[in-house]
Amino acid sequence: MPRKERYQNRIELLQGTLDLLILQTLRWGAQHGYGISQAIHGNSGEVFQVDTGSLYPALHRLEKQGWIQSEWKVSENKQRVKAYRLTVLGRKRLASERSRWKQVMEAMAGILNPIGEESKA
Amino acid sequence: MSFSDREKREQELDEEIGSHLRMAEQDRVARGERPDEARYAVRRELGNVSLVKEVTRGMWGGNWIPTLFQDLRYGLRVLRRNPGFSLIAVLTLALGISATTAIFSVVYGVLLRPLPYDQPDQLVQVWEQDSKGNTMNLADPNFQDLRSQNRSLQGLAEFGAGLESVSGGSEPKRLIVASVSSDFFPLMRAPLVKGRGFAPEDQRRGAGAVVLVSYNYWRQYLNSAADLSVVKLRVENESASVVGVLQPGFHFPEDADLWIPRELDPPLPSRTAHNWTAVARLRDGVPLQQAREDLASIGRAIKKQYGDEVDIAGVSVVRLQDALTSTVRFRLLLLLGAVGALLLVACANVMNLLLAQAAARESELAVRTALGASRGRMLRQFMAETLLLSLTGGVVGVLGAYWGVHWLLRLAPPDTPGLAGVSMNLPVLLFAFSLSLAVAVGLGTFTAMRASSGDIRAALAEGGRGSASSFSTQFIGRAIVVMQLAITMTLLIGAGLFGRSLMRVLSVDPGFRTEHVVTIDLALPSAFSPDMKIRRVQFLNELFARLRALPGVEDVGGTNALPLATGISSNGGFAVVNPQQISPRTQELINRAARGDVREDSALMKELTDFFGQLFRDPKQGGSADYTSVSEGYFRSIGIPLVRGRLFDDRDAMDAPHVAVISESLVREKWANQDPIGRSIEFGNMDGDPRLLTVIGVVGDVRERTLETPPRPTIYVNYRQRPQTTSRFSAVVRTAGDPATVIASAQKIVRELDPDVPPSSSSFATIFAASTSVRRFNLVLFGIFAGTALLLAIAGIYGVLAYSVARRTREMGVRMALGASAGNVLRLVMGQGMVTTIIGVILGLVGSFILMRFLQSMLYEVGAADPLTFAAVALLLFAVALLASYLPARRATKVDPIVALRYE
Repeated sequence: MPRKERYQNRIELLQGTLDLLILQTLRWGAQHGYGISQAIHGNSGEVFQVDTGSLYPALHRLEKQGWIQSEWKVSENKQRVKAYRLTVLGRKRLASERSRWKQVMEAMAGILNPIGEESKA
Repeated sequence: MSFSDREKREQELDEEIGSHLRMAEQDRVARGERPDEARYAVRRELGNVSLVKEVTRGMWGGNWIPTLFQDLRYGLRVLRRNPGFSLIAVLTLALGISATTAIFSVVYGVLLRPLPYDQPDQLVQVWEQDSKGNTMNLADPNFQDLRSQNRSLQGLAEFGAGLESVSGGSEPKRLIVASVSSDFFPLMRAPLVKGRGFAPEDQRRGAGAVVLVSYNYWRQYLNSAADLSVVKLRVENESASVVGVLQPGFHFPEDADLWIPRELDPPLPSRTAHNWTAVARLRDGVPLQQAREDLASIGRAIKKQYGDEVDIAGVSVVRLQDALTSTVRFRLLLLLGAVGALLLVACANVMNLLLAQAAARESELAVRTALGASRGRMLRQFMAETLLLSLTGGVVGVLGAYWGVHWLLRLAPPDTPGLAGVSMNLPVLLFAFSLSLAVAVGLGTFTAMRASSGDIRAALAEGGRGSASSFSTQFIGRAIVVMQLAITMTLLIGAGLFGRSLMRVLSVDPGFRTEHVVTIDLALPSAFSPDMKIRRVQFLNELFARLRALPGVEDVGGTNALPLATGISSNGGFAVVNPQQISPRTQELINRAARGDVREDSALMKELTDFFGQLFRDPKQGGSADYTSVSEGYFRSIGIPLVRGRLFDDRDAMDAPHVAVISESLVREKWANQDPIGRSIEFGNMDGDPRLLTVIGVVGDVRERTLETPPRPTIYVNYRQRPQTTSRFSAVVRTAGDPATVIASAQKIVRELDPDVPPSSSSFATIFAASTSVRRFNLVLFGIFAGTALLLAIAGIYGVLAYSVARRTREMGVRMALGASAGNVLRLVMGQGMVTTIIGVILGLVGSFILMRFLQSMLYEVGAADPLTFAAVALLLFAVALLASYLPARRATKVDPIVALRYE
């Protein structure tokens, strides 16, 4: 069953990390939804696959919270697209989300590679 | 967010997703995929587009009304997609809601609706209480003491009411005429639409009789006369002038149409003549308890002062509304409970339907949750669906209840108080609405809890086959069926016990015949004085003679107390007297009392009452018996057998020695193993004629009050000697053929003899049937509720098993493929059904055992834990459950292993 294998290769995004990834992606400038999902996919070394079904609800939620803003633009290939960009509030949010993520990473690292392992004996 | 804003955002969302799809597609094509494959892949990646859009829209938040509409729209779509499910669910709920609403409308109209009087919670009913706590009507002197000595009442009024003949209007009528004391109207605060109320000069002995009439009577029989002074009525053959008309709807007490001052008659000096009902109004701010204590202390003081002469020991004070409804309160609440149980059973069926629905939609729900739809949002969605179901059910239910109330009112025993106030009014509609809401919230919460408790991942991985949570779904489904069965069982047992009671009652030998008997109720003028008595006897003699001459009539008789008919029967103390006990002085008093109008000389009466009172209280000589004035034809007409001696005949005239015929139970009580013929009885306190009665005959026992109460000792006196003072008298005619043919000509005879005596007649069989109407009413309603619950429960068992079989098609296929026989599969499925049934029946038995004790007072010669009923109902449930599980089980055996394994 090839379908099953694909499921195993794909790493599901942790709950709540999608917001951080979107905000981080938008740091480099305005981007439309498809562009955001492509950027996350590419920047993660093609490990993260953003579920389209979750992306748009997340974008609309972030917009409602005032962290991002949207406007309609015309893309390179002459298509009308809705582009999102960070707001001032969004930048602050990104900073706090990043520091929180850092804490989580350190905590995880501490558990996965305990420093006091040698002193056990 | 305005509506147009929203529409714009919807368009933008469509465009956004559309552009996403296009870009993704172009990228894939650029990478070398075939265009059609690319399009398909992109679509698949996105998943259910409309679902994604919906969840995204949910993020906009804001106005809850569009969300609600959206939920409702979506719910409507879901329900329309499954019209069969929706129809069954709506109809089941409609059934439960309509039955509950109909019963509630009766409960509201009779028990809850405030009485239509000013400040009705101040109104109370007052009784004397004897030392055993039994309540009794008030005796005049006690009433006067209570009225003058209390500190807690604004007023205390005594009244009596009865059917009397009233002529002078457009036609003579028998109406309820209430005789009310002076405080009555001030404390009832009943406004007049015309004329004046009673003035103090109307309320004294010897005043010219004045009456107040009801609005109805004034409209119907007085042609809404503008000038009341020209209206002259004859009430009981005494003329009375109408002084006022009460406001529409006022008919207290009972269904009174005419009110007359009680003070026209003198008060009786006896403190044990319990003749009057009493109503009072509490003073402002005085709580009920305080009034109780106040009046009870006066009652105790009376007892202390008069000792053995009085039987009052305390006073009972009850809110008027409670007092008026006390006879039906328990019955109605019981019915409400039963119909509530039916509603539960109906809801349980819908629950099971929803459960099956939710299981079928598991994957859809899982996708929604995965896309980030919150629990709250899911709950709202389910609420919207169940709200649609139950509100539709509620609307259909209310329509059904309109019809149901109509039907209930026709079926209800006619003497149920307050039936006139029963209708589908605003409070009842509000009740139906709240009931629907409660059902919606209950069902919605239940489904949402079930739906969100499942494992999303598992549901998604199953790809919509949904067997992952099927075990718990089935378990809950069966638990619901168990509950249904238990409730149904309780209802069935209730109905069974009522049924058996009714059968027992109907198989009782009442001591008389009811077939081919016509009764004609007369309202005769009172006969206190000797000349009035003679006139009454002449009237009756002529009536009997003319009735006997009618073709098809076999026998004619008369009585003042027809068995089983509602109304007053007289009973009281009597004494077996040895004539030597009567001193010459007493004998002279007796003769004087017999000659004169006893009402004229209360001192004479008191002396006699005192003398006989002590004999009545002597346990050897005295006793209590029913007192009935009849003609000899009465015994023959309704078939009461003569056991010994003779019946009355023309020898027993007014001045001949007074004679009595007694019932067998009195013989057993007083003359066991002796011959009662020729003995003397004193029973003078019933009609004021204290002459001794000589026993001339013994007749069979009769159940006079109700079929359920054992026969009481009865003393029959001769109408020629004791024509009675009360107005009520019934002629009894036994016919050879159909009694209906005689009724018209009999009524014509009565009208010819006395146009002022409006007769009302019916066949005795009708009276007999009416005496069991309460039992029939209970039985019919319980039977309907139980039967409906049974049908619903059958549908429940069938549904759960059929669903389980459908879900386990593959499993059945595997079993059959591995060699299971059709019998094995049949046993497997039916076994499942039986286990459910057994648990349900056991729970139902235990529940009924506990609950049926409350019914005991309504049963007759059947125990609340009647083993026969319990066993029969359990068997019945088993049988129908077996049947209901047979069909799905058979379907399971028909599974083709090959097809089953390919299925899914």
